[in-house]
Amino acid sequence: MSSLQNLAALRARITETERISPQAWPSAPMGAAGIDAALPGRGLVTGALHELLPASHADLSATLGFGLGALRRILETRAGHILFVLPSFVAFDMGRLYPIGLAAYGIDPNRLVHLRVAKPVNVLWALEEALSHPAVAAAIGILPENDRAYDFTASRRLSMRAGRHGATAFIVGTRPDLGLSTAADMRWRIGAEASAPAWRTGQYRPGLGAPRWRVELIKTRKGVTGVWPVEWDHETLSFRVAAPLGDRTPLRVDRRRGGQPAAA
Amino acid sequence: MGNLLPPDEGRPLVLSDNAQSGARITATNAAAEAQGLFTGMPVTDARAIFPALEVYPADSAGDVEALTRLALWGQRYSPFTRIEGEDGISLDITGCAHLFGGEEGLMDDLAQRLESFGLSARLAIAPTLGAAWAAARHAPSAHAIIATGEISEALAAFPVAALRLSEETVAALDKLGLKQIGLLIGKPRGALVARFGMLLVMRLDQALGQADESFNPLTPPPVYRADCRFAEPVTLLADIEATVKHLSRELAEALYKAGKGARRIELVLYRVDGWFEALELRTSALSRDARHLSRLICERLERIEERAGFGFEAATLAAFDVERGDAQQHGLDTGAPGEAEGDISELLDRFANRFGAASVTRFVPRQSYVPEKAVEALSVLEPIALQDWSAHARHLMDDTPLARPILLFGRPEPVDVIFETPDHPPTRFAWRRIAHRIVRADGPERIAPEWWSAAPGETRDYYRVEDEAGHRFWLYRQGFYERQGEPASWFIHGVFP
Repeated sequence: MSSLQNLAALRARITETERISPQAWPSAPMGAAGIDAALPGRGLVTGALHELLPASHADLSATLGFGLGALRRILETRAGHILFVLPSFVAFDMGRLYPIGLAAYGIDPNRLVHLRVAKPVNVLWALEEALSHPAVAAAIGILPENDRAYDFTASRRLSMRAGRHGATAFIVGTRPDLGLSTAADMRWRIGAEASAPAWRTGQYRPGLGAPRWRVELIKTRKGVTGVWPVEWDHETLSFRVAAPLGDRTPLRVDRRRGGQPAAA
Repeated sequence: MGNLLPPDEGRPLVLSDNAQSGARITATNAAAEAQGLFTGMPVTDARAIFPALEVYPADSAGDVEALTRLALWGQRYSPFTRIEGEDGISLDITGCAHLFGGEEGLMDDLAQRLESFGLSARLAIAPTLGAAWAAARHAPSAHAIIATGEISEALAAFPVAALRLSEETVAALDKLGLKQIGLLIGKPRGALVARFGMLLVMRLDQALGQADESFNPLTPPPVYRADCRFAEPVTLLADIEATVKHLSRELAEALYKAGKGARRIELVLYRVDGWFEALELRTSALSRDARHLSRLICERLERIEERAGFGFEAATLAAFDVERGDAQQHGLDTGAPGEAEGDISELLDRFANRFGAASVTRFVPRQSYVPEKAVEALSVLEPIALQDWSAHARHLMDDTPLARPILLFGRPEPVDVIFETPDHPPTRFAWRRIAHRIVRADGPERIAPEWWSAAPGETRDYYRVEDEAGHRFWLYRQGFYERQGEPASWFIHGVFP
């Protein structure tokens, strides 16, 4: 046996012992080759727990936007129902899920179930129950800011449920930092970035380009962490790595940010 | 009725209400009756007879409520129960008596229980409702049973008031010396009808069993129902759960045999002291799956132990909204990965059961351009057909990609704006006390309310804007600058990814 074969056999044995789930679930390619290369199985792991954290308090919509994109990618590998769990007071603050916007993301609202709960601990209960159902593709829960129910044990339970049945769990934080270590398979941090300007006739100011975020993979079980500028391509319903600086407008100096040029 | 006041049977006590002609007695206790006081007597007269009389205001609404509750409790004997007037309850025990050891057995059981509740009751069992009504109120003994074929003999001695007649009719009969029912039986019907109207003859026929009488029960009786009675009162959650499982199996089997499923299930636990706990739950799809039903119920039983008191003595599980149809049957292939296309109604039922039906929703598109009216959230318990969302979204967004936000505020929030020219998007805006400088903007997209519901000032011009940090918002201006009397104001309605 060559050393290469040895290595492969050894790797297989290690994966076997490391794996919690009895089954390996396929990875969902994000569509951006640069990122997929860094991820285990060349894509988003499914049947696993993802944590999505906003880079700042204002980035919740960006975080959710990236989450919806990831969800869309996962639906490619596993069709099924989607559960959204929102604590009622969070919805009051950040608005309600708007299905027409979701339909534009390629997520069919027919498959969407929206659950409003009063207590944070019920978010986790509902996610766990949903993940155990074979017809559920993904379950997304939004944690309120003052949440204390989500800890290592809770994340471990979610991760194991997801691994056993193949559904993917998303925990969307409303705070930039969870401040604790969890058993999540991947932890992402998302911040909004200025989109590429889209010049349209008759407008004296550029229009909005494709949504763009700074996506940071902070933690991953396997694979490599990294930071990427990511765009959502609404035509192919996939991510792409944004070309850096395609902007011809002169750099402006933003006084509030201590003289650093504003990102374009 | 009721035990708000400690019953001190030794002292005369009456209830009174305020009639037009002054306070009158509506109820008396035994001691008051012994003093010669009676229902309908003015309270002032009664006080003249017995100055130390205790008088309390009557609570007729409370009486009806308590009576209704007792009638519902009576469903442990038969599903057909109702209240009779202000002071009675009737049960249609056809086909039920054998469960309690015959009619005597049922009456003994009922009498014993009512007595233990602290209620004094007069009971009668008869082949017809009319005869039972009469016997319960006018029979010499408090517990009367009239057998088939003995009705006319038994009724003969009762006063005519026992026929459920109006006071005027009773008074008119009295004037003619027709004081007992026996005097009416066999009288020429034509004369009776001519003199006293149809009702008298009808009531007589109904009491004698010569005319049918419909019985409208308090609650529609379920067709499918499983019940059980405990030898000893049950208080432990585990025991109640075991009972629920047993009853669900029985009910599910009955539904399965009939090829039907139910959308609504009701569990009633009867407590020893006459109280009962009812628990209702709905399912999103027709169901006859014992495992699913018992699980749904057991998840709601959490606090039942606290309310058990001295224990529950009987339980019924009934199916409502029963329809013929292929109820989802899970059993053989539960949990198999091949079920991925399957439905999640069971899961939704459990969510609805735990968080309330209104908290678990699906969206349906609505034909409107107004953003908040273009979708509606409906409870998952309502049947919803598959919708063509992509057509709806395309129609609304008019080929502009991602022209609608992912989060929409329930109520648009006002923002302060700075703009260069009125018809262009603003250059800055402040929302929740944070200023944003707009560097990208698309719009306006004019959305007017439907012309038939329009107030002219409600036309909105929507702009998609992005600030320097890359946060994207949906702003709109309502009203116009150039028109008088319609001041323009700016709002934020949603956020983009």
